[in-house]
Amino acid sequence: MTSYMVTSDRFAGFKRGDTVTDKDLEGVDVEALVEGGHLSTQSAKKSGKTKDTDTDKD
Amino acid sequence: MATTVYLSNPALTINSVDLTDQATSAVLTYNYEQLETTAFGDTARKFGGSAVTSLQNNSFEVTLYQSYAATETEATIYGLVGIQTTIEVSPTAAGLATPSATSPKFSLVGCYLESHTPINASLGELSTITLTFTGGTLTKAVS
Repeated sequence: MTSYMVTSDRFAGFKRGDTVTDKDLEGVDVEALVEGGHLSTQSAKKSGKTKDTDTDKD
Repeated sequence: MATTVYLSNPALTINSVDLTDQATSAVLTYNYEQLETTAFGDTARKFGGSAVTSLQNNSFEVTLYQSYAATETEATIYGLVGIQTTIEVSPTAAGLATPSATSPKFSLVGCYLESHTPINASLGELSTITLTFTGGTLTKAVS
């Protein structure tokens, strides 16, 4: 299942940053939405986790 | 006394993109093709009938202000020429999200946009475009 990130404020029923899947896009042309800047094929970035790898002991 | 609902402020989406604030006119035409069923013995022409199901032949005409900004009119419409898409329109903005008997939502699924005028400019006037979507199956949601 392909997912897309909403990248405009005009996409009906969703907010910018939401993730939609093929199920949400029945009857609409996805290519035109991507071309028009309403959807991005890049999925939303996960929040970065930090890991302390510094082992130096002063 | 007859009452009239005047669609002065409908809301619409084209390919799931809300372009209500760019629209100045919207006309949805619901049509079944007229099939003649007149036969010998009839004294007047007849059309249709309980055993005759003709094809829907719907259309949706909309006028939009042209805008070349990101995710606005031109960016949304240009990629739709020559393909099928879905139109949703309701007498009110609330009807798009939660349709009701007094604010139904009409969905035209599989309609086709044959042409678009990316440039329609006249000196001293705001640029508008008029689009005609044809075909597709029309449904009406009241809940």
